[in-house]
Amino acid sequence: MIDASLPLPRPVWIEAAILAAVRAIVMPCQSERPDGPAVPIRDDVEDVRQAQQGDADAYRRLVERHQDHVARILWRFSRDRGTHEELVQDVFVEAYLSLSRYRGKAPLEHWLARIATRVGYRHWKEKARRRRTEPFDVQEWDAAMDGDHVAGTVEPNDAAEVLHHVFAQLAPRDRLVLTLRYLEQCDVVETARRTGWTRTMVKVQTLRARNRLRRLLEQHGVELT
Amino acid sequence: MKWDQKIEELAARAREERVPCVDVTSAVLATFTAGSVQPLTVAERFWMWLAAVSSAVAVPVAVTAFILSTRSAGPLNEIVEAISWAIQ
Repeated sequence: MIDASLPLPRPVWIEAAILAAVRAIVMPCQSERPDGPAVPIRDDVEDVRQAQQGDADAYRRLVERHQDHVARILWRFSRDRGTHEELVQDVFVEAYLSLSRYRGKAPLEHWLARIATRVGYRHWKEKARRRRTEPFDVQEWDAAMDGDHVAGTVEPNDAAEVLHHVFAQLAPRDRLVLTLRYLEQCDVVETARRTGWTRTMVKVQTLRARNRLRRLLEQHGVELT
Repeated sequence: MKWDQKIEELAARAREERVPCVDVTSAVLATFTAGSVQPLTVAERFWMWLAAVSSAVAVPVAVTAFILSTRSAGPLNEIVEAISWAIQ
């Protein structure tokens, strides 16, 4: 049985409550997530406030509400189920420890997406330091392609696997921008928000990463034209 | 077809993938209640900041002190040598 009280991250945040109240009056209470069920911001802010006071149930609700979204992001960072689950867990532990920094100005899932990206990127850097990269087999690529296009028989998880292996050959920084661009469909602004980099840096990094990706594919004998 | 269009196409197919379900609720809450993860208290934050500020001040002071001592080491050595010569 889990104790219903949690250690307090910080005294109650009045600003979040005021913002929630203002939002409740002047704004519609739906987040702007296009690809999933809309989560009322008001509920999140209220649960964050209660979790800050040590209410375990409030934090449980937040985890239950957002874990699928976080899991979806982190599946791009690790395709090993055990590691994936650990990373999702790390995100919510980290989120709890910095709950006081959530200002309630944007949907909680945006804030969690930033933490998830940071956790995933850290995982890649750790792997790169230990030189544990999954090999890329050009036959895997060939099997996924049918001439110039992706073969119709290729399952989504196979396509994801191929891209994961290709990107894994690059440095974590390159891998991050390419993953956000191609798999998460993030534009420059969103990538900058998720990574904490400037927009100029994102543009430069993307350009370099694409060049390195192209060189990598050429080195592996992948037909590019 | 441009090479990055192939990547775009692969990515589009990859995005259709179903992500495995996870439920970390119990594990996350258990981490907190086990006490292995604790947010910093106000006092801890204060000490952390104090340590950071002290380090930030200490490093330039140490560098300056080293430079000054190196500069003054020459004349000091001369004086010490002169004294030791006079004593002899």
